[in-house]
Amino acid sequence: MEQQVFALPAAWWFDAVKVWLTVAVVIYAVTAIPGILFIMKYRYKPGEREIGDHEREGHWGLEAAWTIIPTIIVLFLATYSFTVFKLQRTPPKDAMTIKVYGFMWGFQTDYLDENGKVIKTVYSFYKPDNYNAAENEKIVVPAGKPVKALLTSKDVIHSFYVMPARITEDMVPGRITHLWFQINKPGEYWIFCREFCGTGHSHMFAKLKVVPQEEFTAWLRGDSNGLARKKAETKESL
Amino acid sequence: MREAIPAEKPYFLASLREWIFTTDHKKIGIMYFVTSYIFFLVAGLFGLVIRAEQTQPGFQFVSPEFYNYLLTGHGAVMLLWWAIAAHIGGFGNFLLPLMIGARDVAFPRLNAFSFWSFFGASLLVLLTLIPGNHIKMMWTGYPPYSATGDAGPTALYVFIIHLIGISSIAGAVNFITTYIKMRAPGIGFWNTNMFVHCLIGANVIQLIGVPSLAGAVTMLLLDKYLGTNFYNPAKGGDPLLYQNVFWFYSHPVVYVQVLPIFGFFSEILPTFARRPLFGYTSMVFAVWGIVFLSFEVWIHHMFVSGVPDWARVIMSYTTILIAVPTGVKIFNWLGTLHGGAIILRTPMLYALGGIFMFLIGGLTGIPNAMVAIDLGISDSLFIVGHFHYVLAMAVTLGILAAITFWYPKATGRMFPEGLGKLSFWLIFAGANLLFFFQMVVGMLGNPRRYPDYPAIPEWIMLHQIQTVGGVILGIGVLVFTIAMIKGLKGEKAPANPWQSPSLEWRIDSPAPANNFGDKPPKVEPDYHPYKYGAPPAF
Repeated sequence: MEQQVFALPAAWWFDAVKVWLTVAVVIYAVTAIPGILFIMKYRYKPGEREIGDHEREGHWGLEAAWTIIPTIIVLFLATYSFTVFKLQRTPPKDAMTIKVYGFMWGFQTDYLDENGKVIKTVYSFYKPDNYNAAENEKIVVPAGKPVKALLTSKDVIHSFYVMPARITEDMVPGRITHLWFQINKPGEYWIFCREFCGTGHSHMFAKLKVVPQEEFTAWLRGDSNGLARKKAETKESL
Repeated sequence: MREAIPAEKPYFLASLREWIFTTDHKKIGIMYFVTSYIFFLVAGLFGLVIRAEQTQPGFQFVSPEFYNYLLTGHGAVMLLWWAIAAHIGGFGNFLLPLMIGARDVAFPRLNAFSFWSFFGASLLVLLTLIPGNHIKMMWTGYPPYSATGDAGPTALYVFIIHLIGISSIAGAVNFITTYIKMRAPGIGFWNTNMFVHCLIGANVIQLIGVPSLAGAVTMLLLDKYLGTNFYNPAKGGDPLLYQNVFWFYSHPVVYVQVLPIFGFFSEILPTFARRPLFGYTSMVFAVWGIVFLSFEVWIHHMFVSGVPDWARVIMSYTTILIAVPTGVKIFNWLGTLHGGAIILRTPMLYALGGIFMFLIGGLTGIPNAMVAIDLGISDSLFIVGHFHYVLAMAVTLGILAAITFWYPKATGRMFPEGLGKLSFWLIFAGANLLFFFQMVVGMLGNPRRYPDYPAIPEWIMLHQIQTVGGVILGIGVLVFTIAMIKGLKGEKAPANPWQSPSLEWRIDSPAPANNFGDKPPKVEPDYHPYKYGAPPAF
């Protein structure tokens, strides 16, 4: 069975991090280990090693090598990141569009119908001293479906960080920016503001609730509080 | 040239009047350094409170408003006082004329003016300690937030930047002129100390960049108080204009901060490896490569700010290319160690620690340049951890290395060796615990500038490790400070305690008031600052 990808573009992001981390660890090892060995080996010893080597003040071959090889490595990394970046920035054709506004301090999420008319709005308000979101404050999206978020702000610059998807984009007043994400596993996830926006910055968050498609359709059609109440009732009756 | 006040006595015997009216580069350097060291301690204290607040989720010690003030103060003071004024104002002033065999800088009065406008900025910073004056918009001061009432007195911030900017521009003109016009006969481009190359590179960046920052904050001032609309989208302005103009200077400033540190490493490593600097020529090219590239990369601070995708990709390439000249420097330092006769005195420990930490700082900079990874870590604590490896580790360890290295020349006494080594190990261990785990928690998603965070178990544990590191780091800095003060009464230093061939060690310790006397020093035809003739006697 094919291993199911938990979220996009997070899956590519984790790959990119792995590539970087491997390169970084290798470079660290080939640099730091000789460095430490040199420090241990070429130690000052009275009568034996009192003065360093004054012959080799440089080596053009070596110096050229450690200019050219790193250049190739970093150009490879940048090009690889460019290919991932294109995927991260291009929402799939079947993506569902939502509009998210940042404000001091919270998010307003508008859900649209086929004609682009707003059919439902969710407000995720700031809680000065906790991170609990009421049921009707959660941003609900269907599992396994790409979601394109158009972002802007009503006051200062905020940002929209969808933590499970590892993607961020600023919400800038006067501009519409965008990102897209797809979460395949139903559950509740964090959304944070990561651009400094004042006193309430650290409590400017939203809960992202990922539900199966049918549940999402029902939620979008119906009254979310009603649905929540019904659920609570069924739980009690059980 | 007539002095504003005659300086005949060595400066530690000088009267208060002489200190205030002095135009002597050494006294001005020391005043710069002492001012920024005091600010470093205060901003470090701010940092410890910031650290303590994040140990547990919830608000324990400070309100979010006060936390934002602490963050703003910590950032601005560490960046503009500690990481610029301490080594460019302090060590640059003290060492530049000595290393090139000059009597003073080219414009001594302008130099005094630089210091006093810097001092004025310092006084304005002290004003922000008054509760009503807390600036809470972070050192970046992004509009539209900085134009709101919540941000605190934006005008005060702008005037601080103006004063420090005037000081920087005057200082840059002065240093560049000094280097071009006042070298002793025999000192040329290819036998100048690496510190001087780095210092001049940094000041070229200052000269080109500071006007850009001054322009950005001036427009901010006009917007907030006089109703212009440079950054107001409702009236056709654009908040991203600020970010562009701001980062056009404020990214290159990273190299202003770190280049002189490369200079320190390049002075200290050869001295304690008793061997010439490896690859001197490629080091010089690397410095100017960094200076050139530094102005082509600023968008990497704006990878998620809504700028066009093509701009992000171009700047991703230019940013990652900076790794090449930086790598050349690191490899050349390793080449210097190879075949040396290494002596691990305090300055060497600090320099080696700084280089190894800079290596981590550089490698963790790569994902910020790789735009694909940056979309997931932008504005997280990973970034904070990364730039603390560069700034709080490489730069701080570099400055501390320089203090312990040139301490004899400035004070006439040796730096206490035991306390110096102890402080190194404390600072090294503490800072690694703090900033490594800061990067880890950032990779897990923790946003930056958060006094509070949701109670996610791994996050809490990682924050607690960081706080332990922060306490150890704080104790280390305290030990270093005590050593620095104790050393003033310590063992008397000879003129050339490290037996370095470099020019600044050819005069008495402490440096005499008139440097090399009436005539420029005699520089032998084959002079090179890293030619060690005799076995060391220390």
